[in-house]
Amino acid sequence: MSLISVEFLFFCAFVLLLYYLVKDRYRWIVLLLSSLVFYCLAGPKYVLYLLFSATSVYTGARLIDRMNDTRDAYLSEHKDGLNREEKKAYKASVKKKQKRILFLCVLANVLVLFTLKYLDFGIAYFNYYRLLITGNTNLVPQPGLILPLGISFYTFQSLGYVIDVYYGKVKSERNYFRFLLFISFFPQVVQGPISRFSALQQELFSEKRFEMERITSGLYRILWGLFKKLIIADRLSSYVARSAAFRMDYKGPYLLLCIFFYAFQIYGDFSGGIDVAIGVAELFGIRLTENFERPFFSKSIAEYWRRWHITLGTWFRDYIFYPLSVNKGILNLGKWCKKHLGEAVGKRVPVYLPMIAVWALTGMWHGSESKFIVWGLLNCTFLILGTEFEPLSKRIMEKLSLREDMLIVKLYRIFKTFWLMAFLRVFDFVKTPKDGFYLMADVFKRWDSFDLNEIYTTLLLPKEELIVALIAIAVLAAVSTIQRKGSIRAKILTKNAWIQYAGLIGLAAVVLIFGSYGLGYDAQSFIYMKF
Amino acid sequence: MDELREILEGIHPEVDYDTETGLIDKRIFDSFDVITLVGELVDTFDVEITAEQMIPENFNSMEAIRNLIERLSDE
Repeated sequence: MSLISVEFLFFCAFVLLLYYLVKDRYRWIVLLLSSLVFYCLAGPKYVLYLLFSATSVYTGARLIDRMNDTRDAYLSEHKDGLNREEKKAYKASVKKKQKRILFLCVLANVLVLFTLKYLDFGIAYFNYYRLLITGNTNLVPQPGLILPLGISFYTFQSLGYVIDVYYGKVKSERNYFRFLLFISFFPQVVQGPISRFSALQQELFSEKRFEMERITSGLYRILWGLFKKLIIADRLSSYVARSAAFRMDYKGPYLLLCIFFYAFQIYGDFSGGIDVAIGVAELFGIRLTENFERPFFSKSIAEYWRRWHITLGTWFRDYIFYPLSVNKGILNLGKWCKKHLGEAVGKRVPVYLPMIAVWALTGMWHGSESKFIVWGLLNCTFLILGTEFEPLSKRIMEKLSLREDMLIVKLYRIFKTFWLMAFLRVFDFVKTPKDGFYLMADVFKRWDSFDLNEIYTTLLLPKEELIVALIAIAVLAAVSTIQRKGSIRAKILTKNAWIQYAGLIGLAAVVLIFGSYGLGYDAQSFIYMKF
Repeated sequence: MDELREILEGIHPEVDYDTETGLIDKRIFDSFDVITLVGELVDTFDVEITAEQMIPENFNSMEAIRNLIERLSDE
């Protein structure tokens, strides 16, 4: 069931009614059952993967936590009988056992994810290279595995939880079903945000009262998400797909427009879906973590990645980057480099090596094709270049008497970051890395003419549609600009009820009238759903 | 703990470590500085710093870093 469907609307309305009708202490059970029903509707057999993840992580976390309790009890009992060294050795032995459990837990879940996501592609590559090298035409059959709904998201969320339990940041959840709700909560299971247990636990299980203000606020958020998804993203999708597939037929300006449009398509699609998820959760009085913070206003790539898909970025930072960069082996390698290759290299190695690993994994997380790894590593390259050229950039600015707080400097940086990120995004919608590079190069070729009729006809974006898309993008930019000074929704919610409802009806009307529908229309599925 | 001051001044000599409480939050220390600092702390104070300690609150001031070392030494 798509988050953008009439069925989902009725599903939400029914669950909402039930949720507020039952006593507070049973509300989480309503959410759990509805989440399982929601998941079953995507394919009952896929629930087994979800249950495997939930059961393995729940058991692992409980075991780790129990060892903590046993350790603390033992140390308290033998407080005076053990010296410092003995206590340290005992703690280390417990930690070692916990580490083994954590390792098994992570391995089992990563293996499932890896197999489902990469096995078919692995076999395809194997067949291709075997044919190329040995001429063997016997193909190994591909099992044709289908990715269960949201597996990349809930696997990361549950692994984050068990690692936090291992670190002692959170206590493990005793009730299996409560934990199951944490990873299956239906608004977020499709495409995130990737929540932390410490934050979501409080939201899911705390006492709730029916508050009309929350419902109104949630509805505004849902409609804003639909605005981004249906009016911007879905409207631009045909243009992007067509121009990318037939790039040889189109001159530079059309391809540049394709890159520009895709930046808004992917933002409208993903952040719109997240708005719907956050809005639906808000109807139940549950606050989900924000996943975007107006990324197109970023002044550097590093800032962009702090503001785009925030929950994935912080996940990689906390569970991959930091563990790697403070790992003894990497620190020692840094010291060795410092001694033999100089301070500059020694300083960079413990930061850049984990960064490269993180970006290769980020690319792989997005998909099994090699183009995603190329995309990840290119992002990493530009991040490294940005860091390395920062001193030079500062010197140039000094020479030109420019300051960081000048509007012109800020605008230049926003412009540069936007286009760089937009260009790298081409790897999302091309078939191979080579296609991506060719498309980027083709943008700069054949600028001799530009005819709007081409867009209206062969590029499948009629004049009216183009105007609606451009106005919607302008509205999005204006809203984002105003939001820098605070939430617009919060301001609307301070007005009287009639104004609030009028705004709501107005926004709903805009979505209904200008949404990208048609005869037999079916909303485009979310791009991030397939990740 | 004068060694800690020496380490910090070795990384950013211009900072007043007696008053500064936003080494991470104000981005005075970037990732290179933090990882260099961790390497130095591990060597000098014979403590094990793991990813769980990598939160801004542990590195925002000299005081916070000192508390972290003391905590880790006690473990």
